[in-house]
Amino acid sequence: MSEALDRIVDALDIETYFYCKSEEEARDLAEALIAELRLPHGDIVFLEHRGWGARVRIRTYIHRPGDHYRWMDKKEEAK
Amino acid sequence: MKTVLLAPLDPVHDNAIKLLRRKLEDAGYTAVSMPPGTTEDEVVEKALTLHPDAILVSRTLGYKVAETLGRLVDLAEAAGLREKTRLGVGGMAITREVGAELGFDATFAGDLNMADVFAFIEGKALQAEASKLPTVAREKPSVVEGYTYTFKDKKIEALLDQITTQILSFVSDKTSDGIERARLREEMLDQPAGSPVLTQLRARYIALCDEETAAFYNNGKLPSGVRWLGAEEVARIPEVIETTLAPHEPLQHAGKRPYIFVQYGTGCPVMDIMHIKTAEAWGADGILHFDPSWGAQREGLLEGCLTHEHDGTILTYDNLNLIHQYKDPATMWNVRGHRGLNTAETQILGARAGADLFKINIPYGGTAGGTDPERLTVDGVFSLRLAAKYGLPFDIPGNDELSGVPPHKTFAGILIMMMLGLKLGGQPIPKPLLCYSPYMQIYGYMDDNMVDMNTAKLAVWREIVDTPIWPGEPVGFMTHTPDRVQSAMTTAAHVALAATLGVDAITMASSDEAYSKGPISAPARVDSLRAVRDLLRFMGSAKFLPTPKASDLLEQIHRGITETLQTIADRGDFTASIYEGHLGSVDDGLYPGRTGRGTVRTLK
Repeated sequence: MSEALDRIVDALDIETYFYCKSEEEARDLAEALIAELRLPHGDIVFLEHRGWGARVRIRTYIHRPGDHYRWMDKKEEAK
Repeated sequence: MKTVLLAPLDPVHDNAIKLLRRKLEDAGYTAVSMPPGTTEDEVVEKALTLHPDAILVSRTLGYKVAETLGRLVDLAEAAGLREKTRLGVGGMAITREVGAELGFDATFAGDLNMADVFAFIEGKALQAEASKLPTVAREKPSVVEGYTYTFKDKKIEALLDQITTQILSFVSDKTSDGIERARLREEMLDQPAGSPVLTQLRARYIALCDEETAAFYNNGKLPSGVRWLGAEEVARIPEVIETTLAPHEPLQHAGKRPYIFVQYGTGCPVMDIMHIKTAEAWGADGILHFDPSWGAQREGLLEGCLTHEHDGTILTYDNLNLIHQYKDPATMWNVRGHRGLNTAETQILGARAGADLFKINIPYGGTAGGTDPERLTVDGVFSLRLAAKYGLPFDIPGNDELSGVPPHKTFAGILIMMMLGLKLGGQPIPKPLLCYSPYMQIYGYMDDNMVDMNTAKLAVWREIVDTPIWPGEPVGFMTHTPDRVQSAMTTAAHVALAATLGVDAITMASSDEAYSKGPISAPARVDSLRAVRDLLRFMGSAKFLPTPKASDLLEQIHRGITETLQTIADRGDFTASIYEGHLGSVDDGLYPGRTGRGTVRTLK
């Protein structure tokens, strides 16, 4: 994992706007994006479709409470 | 005093230059400013006649930045200005990297920091470290300071006296395993590790625990999903915290109150510390410890530094101590123990670990909190005595409204807790919940707006008693969605409403409040704190304007409180009143708690 990802305290959220016809299509696209970006245990936090598109936020936890937090590792160890 | 030449190298924007000029003149400098559209040549020409000690130029528009500023540096160099005149740059289009690359003596990026500007003019190194210092020296405030608890509504005062006299009489000859464990824990904390007395006390403690908790002590068996926090993990915290120190900038814009509290309880004390430091950095005044719900339903608490991957951070003396060690000393700290079988012991652990506030509510804990009303009445009164003994104020959350209870019944319960606390020498703080509760939704009290009802819910307290008021927990409950902008906005709106109504403290949510599939994230905390800061800035000393309906609602709630208390006083039995639904019925959506039923013992 990269140092930048290691420094994420807990959640990584990605917000975007999909060109799509429906909420269902937006959901499919969000799930496809999670897969394409290989986000482990990715989840759709928020999704709202209006008109021709949908506002979407997806999330994956880089560090969950109780994990080994790589942001606590010394820099040389984190590499 | 030194002379400074100010020039906007920008066709339109010169607000920063005007602001700088005023602040420099206030500080005693001679500040000469040039108009928008000034060219590089004009700046140099002016400097050659003015002989300023420093030149500060600004640039807002993002095109031709390097070309324009680079030419200014070259011209200043060629004119021999730089031997005696320091050259600084700032503005929206400027980054530290650009300023340094172009050869400026100083670059001012981001918010205007006058300490840095003064240092630059005086020829001192920029105080990079100064930004790490608190901008306001923090002192731990008191939520209850200035209140007398004098009852203005004498009828309510008399009813409360009658009800609480019955409660105190009822508990006077009763105890429970929870109370006895609290007494033992207090003794245990005074014993050195490994002492024979501690071993004996712990054995007596274990005998009063349920099977699962006893298995932890006897066999080292951890509850499912729980693990020990490694010594190495704990040892590395200081290094991490050192790099994340930040100035504390108060969220409040007009006045010092209300104090803003956030809840933490990620499940892991180390992650909690990071979230606490995040909240402090973004302006929170206080924090509330949330423990796992299962911790309230078991007889006995665990020991040691423990972590797990579920909501709520396990209540142990070591976990609390660890958290206390790293929170800012001025950050107020509430350790809640309002609802479970370990309510009494929680007060002991909290007080010994350095808590500033407790949270105790018998009617809520005895219903929506899941604990048997009789058991929690006995344990709760004992806990109130502890709060008084330790001199710690306790707050009384009104979250039974979330089950559908109308505010007047919830407030009646809070008032009973207040009077109990006062009789025992405590300092209570009512916590009316500002929320879009089932009751509001079913009966349409918020169909038009959310200002009238919430205004009435706060104003009624001012009619009844001279008390601090602390809306929570958190404000805006059931108005949040997983949309972080919406969530932060609705939190900020409730905070602003409560703030302008003169409350003393507020518990606010993160923008993850309505996201249930994972832990609250650090950025979600910042979302809401950032929104609150700006809405408090927006409101200042201005007020919301409720409609005339708010007065009707205020009268309705006040009358309902009196009627509810009259019913309970007439019934003559507080715990029976909870079982029978006088403080929230099955029809309202509230059921008496069952955990710990039949565990109260009468002293011989």
